[in-house]
Amino acid sequence: MTAYLIAVGIVALIYMLLTIGLNLQYGYTGLINFGVVAFFAIGAYTSALLALHGWWLAPAFVAAIILASIFAYPIGLLSLRLSDEYLAVVTLGFSEFVRIVLQQEEWLTKGVQGLPGIPRMFASMGVGGYADVAIFATLVACNAVAIGLMLHLVRSPYGRLIQAIRDDEVAVEAIGKDPRRLKVQVFMLGAGLAGLAGAFYAHFITYLSPDQFLPLVTFYVWIAMIIGGTGRTTGAVAGSVLLLVFLEGSRFARDWIPGVSEVQMASVRLALVGLGLILFTLYRPQGIMGSRR
Amino acid sequence: MSTLLAATGVQKRFGGFKVLDDVSFEIEDRGLVGIVGTNGAGKSTLFAVVSGQLEADEGSVSFAGHDITGVAPLRRARLGLGRTFQVPREFAHLTVRENFLVAARCEYGETLRSVFGGWHRVDREQRELRARADGWIEFLGLARVAGELAGSLSGGQKKLLELGRMLMTEPRCILLDEPFAGVNPVLVDEISQRIRELNATHGIAFVIIEHHLTALKALVQHLYVMDQGRVIADGDPTAVLAQPRVLEAYMGGVI
Repeated sequence: MTAYLIAVGIVALIYMLLTIGLNLQYGYTGLINFGVVAFFAIGAYTSALLALHGWWLAPAFVAAIILASIFAYPIGLLSLRLSDEYLAVVTLGFSEFVRIVLQQEEWLTKGVQGLPGIPRMFASMGVGGYADVAIFATLVACNAVAIGLMLHLVRSPYGRLIQAIRDDEVAVEAIGKDPRRLKVQVFMLGAGLAGLAGAFYAHFITYLSPDQFLPLVTFYVWIAMIIGGTGRTTGAVAGSVLLLVFLEGSRFARDWIPGVSEVQMASVRLALVGLGLILFTLYRPQGIMGSRR
Repeated sequence: MSTLLAATGVQKRFGGFKVLDDVSFEIEDRGLVGIVGTNGAGKSTLFAVVSGQLEADEGSVSFAGHDITGVAPLRRARLGLGRTFQVPREFAHLTVRENFLVAARCEYGETLRSVFGGWHRVDREQRELRARADGWIEFLGLARVAGELAGSLSGGQKKLLELGRMLMTEPRCILLDEPFAGVNPVLVDEISQRIRELNATHGIAFVIIEHHLTALKALVQHLYVMDQGRVIADGDPTAVLAQPRVLEAYMGGVI
């Protein structure tokens, strides 16, 4: 049971990195990114492929962060020309584009077969047990650094300006400030975090295939952000933990819901997650951690 | 005195509809100019063209010796041409003080680099800005609400906040779009007084769109009257408002 909880915790911490990144992009800057999973996938495949080619994990992780950010650059530039809704469509399209490329470019990604045998983090500590604890601890440390940076960022003059962009971009230009540079930077920062999350995922799961990177992942991240509290850094923490409680907790729902088959259960779980989200928006629209002040 | 801001022969169409038809106006350095006209006369559109949110189909705009036709709004603001909006555009989720601070020119603190290092430099920069912001907050009588979220202010307070935010950018000219709309009579006098002071002591020029004729007449040196996208009269405020043409257009011939 402990091993299971640690594994669930690892996934929650990976989602936490994604949620912190999205919260920076949407919660603080107002950029609607419906393509979170694209940068997650780019990070995962980058790190996995490099590791399979004999790279050490540390530089592979760094490469994952950098490559995810680089791919975010053109999308960030597009965000300057598109209004919110269109950016949502473009990012969603981009994430599907990335998935299809991963599926089709078999010479690189082995397509739908997927990439097996990706080196596991802390493999020298043996499978499961201590290695998982070490992964968990590393993720906690990474999240702590990300949260610390984010708390500092949103209180800094830089953070003040991105929040002004979220509130009213026309007014930002009227006071002589250029929102464009900051929007691109924020988009790349968030994507870099997603790339890091992807690398952790790849070297924890050790097998990657394109169907792990469906838009559903993006929407899980949005759910985590919304139930935690949009525009609250601590909300990302609470939200991603609660998301996993829902996702994993509903696994045991069959114990107390009679007459549901194994196959039906998958749908019931999703329905429970949906119901949870609806109840949340009804009774706690500002999220667990509340809105600002 | 020299001309600070001038629009010449500005035309603007929305589809087939001519919103601005050969409109020209100018304001001298340190001037106080008013623009009146019925709803839909084209006043706010003229402001949008002058401050760059809209591009004119024809005509030109110049400011402080620069031709700024086709220049982006943020560059115009940096040149010292500020504006407020008819419907206030406060940063609703920032506090009043933060609204002021965000508008100040901030060399280092707004770079991404400053998030990761050079925090002392940021602190020093922010201390200076905070002192300046608090000065303007005091001047505009917003001290009591300085820590509140801007979105929770009353309509009149939001107007003051927008004016204050503009002041933080150290402008030479501010376009005020209906500063007295929805503001109680006491506050109207208060805002008029602040505008006069800013004009006299800081040399800031103001172009003011307003329906509150009594207050405007007492405030400005020169008045333009617009009707259906044209300037139909301009000159000394009291004289202009007495013209039969203006009375008919503006009051709809009621008087």
